[in-house]
Amino acid sequence: MLVFARDSAAQNVSVMAQAIPTITSARPTATRGNLTEAYLTQPAIMVHASWAGFTGIGTLNLEGLTLERGELTTGAYGEGYVDRRHPHAYVHELLAGRDVTATRDFSFSVFGGRGFAPFGSDDPMVRPIEKYPVNHHLSQVLERIVGVGALRYRKTMLEVGTFNGDEPLGPGAPPNLARFGDSWSTRLTVLPLNALEVSGSLASVRSPEVRAGGGLDQWKHSVTARYERVSGDNGVYGMAEWSHTDERDRGVTVNRLGSVLGEGSVCRAGAILSGRWERTDRPEEEPTLDPFRTPRPPSDLSNLGESRWTILTGAVSSPALRSGWLSGRPFVEVAYITAARGHPGGLFDPVARYGTSHLWMLSAGVRLHAGASGMHDRMGRYGVALPVAMAMQGMAGMQDMSGMQHTQPSMGSDRCRL
Amino acid sequence: MPSVGNMRILIAGVLVLAAGCSSDNVTVPRTGTSPTALDAPLKVLGMGSETARYTAEIAVKGSTAYTTTWGSRPTLGNKVDIWDVSGATPILTDSLIVAGASTLGDVQVSDDSTLLMVATERTGGAIVLYDISNPRKPVQVARYSTANTNPGVHTAKFGRVNGKLYGFLSIDPLNLTPARLVIVDLSDPANPREIFTRVIGNPYVHDTFIRDGILFLALWNDGLDIWDIGGGGQGGTPDNPKVLGNVRTVGGEVHNVWWFHDAQGGKRFAFVGEEGPGSIGSSSIGDIHVVDVSSFASPKEIGFYHVDGAGTHNFSIDEKNAVLYAAYYNGGVRAIDVHGDLSSCPGASNFNVQANITRCDLKAMGRELAVGLLEQNRGVYVWGVEWTGGNVYASDMVNGIWKMTPAK
Repeated sequence: MLVFARDSAAQNVSVMAQAIPTITSARPTATRGNLTEAYLTQPAIMVHASWAGFTGIGTLNLEGLTLERGELTTGAYGEGYVDRRHPHAYVHELLAGRDVTATRDFSFSVFGGRGFAPFGSDDPMVRPIEKYPVNHHLSQVLERIVGVGALRYRKTMLEVGTFNGDEPLGPGAPPNLARFGDSWSTRLTVLPLNALEVSGSLASVRSPEVRAGGGLDQWKHSVTARYERVSGDNGVYGMAEWSHTDERDRGVTVNRLGSVLGEGSVCRAGAILSGRWERTDRPEEEPTLDPFRTPRPPSDLSNLGESRWTILTGAVSSPALRSGWLSGRPFVEVAYITAARGHPGGLFDPVARYGTSHLWMLSAGVRLHAGASGMHDRMGRYGVALPVAMAMQGMAGMQDMSGMQHTQPSMGSDRCRL
Repeated sequence: MPSVGNMRILIAGVLVLAAGCSSDNVTVPRTGTSPTALDAPLKVLGMGSETARYTAEIAVKGSTAYTTTWGSRPTLGNKVDIWDVSGATPILTDSLIVAGASTLGDVQVSDDSTLLMVATERTGGAIVLYDISNPRKPVQVARYSTANTNPGVHTAKFGRVNGKLYGFLSIDPLNLTPARLVIVDLSDPANPREIFTRVIGNPYVHDTFIRDGILFLALWNDGLDIWDIGGGGQGGTPDNPKVLGNVRTVGGEVHNVWWFHDAQGGKRFAFVGEEGPGSIGSSSIGDIHVVDVSSFASPKEIGFYHVDGAGTHNFSIDEKNAVLYAAYYNGGVRAIDVHGDLSSCPGASNFNVQANITRCDLKAMGRELAVGLLEQNRGVYVWGVEWTGGNVYASDMVNGIWKMTPAK
């Protein structure tokens, strides 16, 4: 049994494990041909613990063992991968912190360790579509050594974080600790309705792609609206985001990368129907002999232009099948993808690169889950910045949700859980 | 319904975000700003077309030109094109494929015109040496690749010191492995031998220039280093160099250098290329910086040349006529008059606040002589240029090779 239910007034430990055996067919992909592959994607073990007011959060991501070649994801890019999603760091999150409730209306928290900077939307791992969106590197900043402070006043939260700008070089590569503090981000979140939250974020990230420094800096903006309502075995989720990254050289903007994304899910009696549309700019880089890889760091600060990706994805998932402590939710996803020259287009030509500007991606798999449920449905937020805790406080006027906030489901009952 | 208080907070947040959106500094747009041609362009004699691959660097020996290829179009840049440039229009006569290479970059002919050196990147960095006794039929004599030349040789330059030929290799960084310089003894071209290596560059070392026993190193944000390797009087040798001096040019991103010897024997100035971020095929950024190296121990930047909407890459100088030809990517080819004292410029000086120095603006001094290729009304992206034999040759990533008449 993977669940430790050692709840007491002062102590709470929760453990969850997940993995998604999946098969994907990209038609075509960067090889200019069709490619079908199978993986164990998103294998992760999450641990949350609280004791005497302190909270510990850990996420061990094992994609370095199962996805070294990357997961076929047409349009995806980042960390030396292109048209494949890169494997995440083994230490995806490892943080400790404390929430303090000062008054009925005001509380604050401080967390430190390795994890997410307060920016943008939730990590795609906890969202309805299995395939990551192209905008992952525009809309999240993760796997950094972070210090995050959050203030909460009634239904408003303000987070401020500082971290190292360098993104991971690989699942086991250490961060450049000397760069801690060279980057910052902030996120303001309000909850005008109990089911609706709106947030705006800013971030200044120094040289994410050149670990030693000296690469292009990023000035990032994001506005996100998120809606979620669950009633019994039914639920509705929707999220819309606009994100933008200016890549800068010594303060001068040299690349502009934008993204608009909307996604939603409807759950009825445990079955989930999901959809996502996005339009995202991607910087094109010179691939290596492997068309799915780009050198890290790049050999200079230039790129091959920008491409623009428009992707419509649909997914359907049956109610979860359960056997003892294990549950499995089968799903099918279909994505229709259009690639075009961006602004500027540079050398990018979708037909020269892929043989066509219209591509498809088909996936099927099973979301396997064991252990505590819903413990990290808002990956990317810590302490009092978790809107669920805030909503509960707002609705119930509860004085202190610490110790509960990581176990509050965001999608209602288990039957609607991903 | 949202409360009035929450709506105020939401509006405030949006305003904060909007303020952030508008806090941009000076922006160089990728589109809409194009470098312009002068009234008197460099006259184009002809073009040799290469559209299956992207063309990279150029080297010319007599009536033969060699151009490397780069990247993926999607055909890999693993070919060296061999051109007959005896006529007005370059004619492709042959080519060679560098086995096991995915992209090439630098190419150079040795000072005795016997060897051709090609640098490879990505799939295991290497230099490949060819005997060009018959210039149109190069014969491979060695392929040199070691752990120190991985992951790629960004540039490779010949240098002769006290009569012996050496190769100076600028190696790319990869992941946790930093950039480095490798010097190889090429006195036996069939058996290159590493004699020196050092981790150097921040984060890159992109090029070198060797002349009179002095080694110049383009160290990106660490500026320009000057080393004694036999001609600096400090006891330096290629296998035991001595650092003489360094200068941080404005903007950093030092990519290449040429130590200019004028027809009167003057050796006061070096020209430094700054390679800013570009969007290949569309845009580029980066100035030419003029450095007074009359004292190797304390070199000083004294001038610059700037083109709106374009940045420089490699140089070639007609030293007899004191004309610098610069590849300027989407800005074509620039011919600049570099005779005389470049540090004296009444009415054409410019004070740089960040660096706290006053520099001469070569364009404001009227030293821009001509611009090449922009009048062709087709997109160009010029990687390299070579003045030789009374002609100017340019390698254009998009189109191939151009032959032009010089500015003087």
